[in-house]
Amino acid sequence: MGEIFLEHIVQIELKQVTVIPPLMHEGQKRKPIIQNVSMMIHKGEWIALIGRNGSGKSTLAKVAAGYRAAGVTGKVANHFHSAGKGKPLPIVMQQPEAAMVGATPWEDVLLMLEQNELPAGIIPMEAERALQSVGMGERLHQPLGTLSGGQKQLVAIAGCIGMQTPLLVLDEVTAMLDPEASSTVLKQVRELHEKGATVIWITQKLEELLETDRLIAMDEGTVLFDGQAGAWFERSAPSAKDSLCEQHGFEAPYAAQVAWELEERGIRLTPFPFTAETLAKAVSCYGR
Amino acid sequence: MGADWKLSSVDVYAQSGAAQKQLLHEVNHTFKAGQITLLVGRNGAGKSTLLETMTGLHSIHKGSIMMGNESLWIKRGRKERLNPEVTMKLGLAMQNAQSQWFAASVLEELRYSLKPYQVSGEAAEARMERALNEAGLPPEMLTQDPWTLSGGQQRRLSLACLLACEPEWLLLDEPTAGLDAVGIQRLCAVLAAHRASGRGAVVATHDLDALLPLADAVAVVSGGTVRAAAPAAAMKHAAAAPQALRVLAELHAEAALPLLAQERSGGAPWPAPSEVAAALALALERRSAEHKLLEAEQLSVAVHKAIQAAGPNDSSRSKQMMLAEEEAANVSEMPKEAISQTSGLQSTRFDPRALILSYLVLAASIFMQQSGLGLLLAGLATVLLLIPFRAFIRPWIGILRAYAIMIMIFCVVGGIGLEPLSFDSEKAWPIVLRFGKLFLIMMLGMPLLNLMTPYRLQRAIEQTFGWLGKLGVPIHSFALIVTLIFRFIPLLTGEWERFAKLAHARGKADTPLRKVPLKNVHAVLIPYVRSILRLAEQMSDALEARGFGYKKGKPVYAFRLRFDRSDAWLLGIAGGCGLGLIIIRSLL
Repeated sequence: MGEIFLEHIVQIELKQVTVIPPLMHEGQKRKPIIQNVSMMIHKGEWIALIGRNGSGKSTLAKVAAGYRAAGVTGKVANHFHSAGKGKPLPIVMQQPEAAMVGATPWEDVLLMLEQNELPAGIIPMEAERALQSVGMGERLHQPLGTLSGGQKQLVAIAGCIGMQTPLLVLDEVTAMLDPEASSTVLKQVRELHEKGATVIWITQKLEELLETDRLIAMDEGTVLFDGQAGAWFERSAPSAKDSLCEQHGFEAPYAAQVAWELEERGIRLTPFPFTAETLAKAVSCYGR
Repeated sequence: MGADWKLSSVDVYAQSGAAQKQLLHEVNHTFKAGQITLLVGRNGAGKSTLLETMTGLHSIHKGSIMMGNESLWIKRGRKERLNPEVTMKLGLAMQNAQSQWFAASVLEELRYSLKPYQVSGEAAEARMERALNEAGLPPEMLTQDPWTLSGGQQRRLSLACLLACEPEWLLLDEPTAGLDAVGIQRLCAVLAAHRASGRGAVVATHDLDALLPLADAVAVVSGGTVRAAAPAAAMKHAAAAPQALRVLAELHAEAALPLLAQERSGGAPWPAPSEVAAALALALERRSAEHKLLEAEQLSVAVHKAIQAAGPNDSSRSKQMMLAEEEAANVSEMPKEAISQTSGLQSTRFDPRALILSYLVLAASIFMQQSGLGLLLAGLATVLLLIPFRAFIRPWIGILRAYAIMIMIFCVVGGIGLEPLSFDSEKAWPIVLRFGKLFLIMMLGMPLLNLMTPYRLQRAIEQTFGWLGKLGVPIHSFALIVTLIFRFIPLLTGEWERFAKLAHARGKADTPLRKVPLKNVHAVLIPYVRSILRLAEQMSDALEARGFGYKKGKPVYAFRLRFDRSDAWLLGIAGGCGLGLIIIRSLL
């Protein structure tokens, strides 16, 4: 019941949004970065946004977060209240180092909240709470230089949480991290999502997907696919190799490859599994 | 077949910083020619340091590095030098080696790499062509500016630069990071061809998914030590299990896939998806047949037993998890040590206002001194006052020494009279006094940076001069800029060091220093400035994305500095010393 209710709270609405950058010099082609994109973002969703470099996914996320970009047409409406009062929502980006200003996690989040003009009285408490929620509670005053890349990303994410952002926008935050740090960050953000956060997770790695995710795939500025992640991997016939994932040249997770091979051998698993856990479950439940 | 590469009891320490930090400890390892060796281990375990040590970018404190019968380091006179016989045989691609270009075109870039090898004319052309071809770049690209290439093309170019040198050993640091599927395939092909011609490679990587199938040997780097491991065992030491193994582990946990070991086909570290699917299909078929005879429960018990019996061969999930947890515990302990080392005096101990005020009082009282005795006493006071902060002075000792030498030279030059040749101490003395005072003031200032964080300094400025804001002085913007500048300085020096290493590795300089060789400065400067500009752009984007720089109403202070007892002590002591020195000045 509660879930159905949540589904209906629209946080952000994009209607036919197109971004055409202004001409920088003569002879340059006016190519839109994103073209005619319409979508609704609901409260509590996990949106995995995938696409190659230059496909427009970062721009789409920026527009959705309320940043002014040159050459935007269309309608962007948001229906939420954030501590930032009409300012764009904070985004966490690839380089963990780039935006760290404080000398410790505590200082960094404090500085960010001050700059965003939260009431001074609640800032220290909010900062500590936010850092605790990403599992950095024990490292409040550890010098930033001694933190790993993954921990720095968690500090940046804590800044957004401290801002009580209605929507976490994470732009390839694991791209520069080693596998262990990536999985720590992903796990923490998944936990935040379970507690109700809305998340836009931009990534190149399909193995970070879960079955319940809403997947949006972009190519050359348009939305290729928008729906349950499972449908992205579905083939029309067992050996057709025509799933959207294969058609558009994305590297499928190992589990999905195994599941496809099983289909070719006449074993069709539903729903189509593409993570290690669901593959194992589907196999052990098969035929029982 | 080339020569093996042997490291015996090698120790390496960090070159800068107050406390000498050991980076590598007792490394004994032989890298075999004709093999591809993977270096695996967590971030910060020392993989990059090991690669840099092997190529001479770090000088070693103990032990030896030998390639065949040639030593990497040779003594020439009093100084150790790199042995060109060895360095010419190896090519190192550092992490993010792409987008650090020195020249204006791809051709020039290749020539720059080839320069130390003194190949010219047609031989050089042929080499470049072959290298571009192997790396998968069209020859038309030679005239292009390397900066206009796409990210993937830049990575290929950095590989081409290595291949053009035809090194006996390829050393690659995270070569697959940011590479697309096609690029990774090509890289693997290059490595395989390199091995087929009897030469060796050492590759530091997290990407076991792509590279483990290719490896002959694996070295595990952990906490600065290195040990050999079988390729299959590498999985246990990797930061995270490759996807395939996670899938297999889950299948085992659910008792859905029995007898994995049989499916592993010749040499590959994990089965292909089709092999797993075949095994699963077989198991499912068998199960549906047995299902009619057996209760489902009994079956799962039997399968569980079968797996436990076959257990030791497989990297079982629970074991892997335990190992991961154990290492995670080790990792989390490390930073605590780092803190306890510096816990004597932390940057939050004093109010920056107290620090600056104390400094001004002391500096003024030293500056007032007019006599030798006054200078001596001021020097004594300075040394006594700096005793608690000596750890912060240590990194600056080089500068202090240089400054002291400069004073002496000025004295000599100032005191010498030519006709007749004599030394006039009357003339030299004022120079000693003046520079001596500056020397003391400089020394007192050195620990200041370590005693305050940029944020606390920003707050100190805002709390002291905040009222100027009412008069229209943009004091808050100024205070924020101060913080940002302090944040940017370490980035600048870090970037310079990276370029220095790169110039050193590609230019095959034989000095052990990690400074930019003088003849390369002009080549490094432009790419350095470009890279800094890119860094600044990245930083301003990131700051904007975090909500900095939007129009402000009233400033928000979530945290205020408070003058407490330790600040009072600090000011009291500084004031006392200052007063004492002023009294001395008036008495003498």
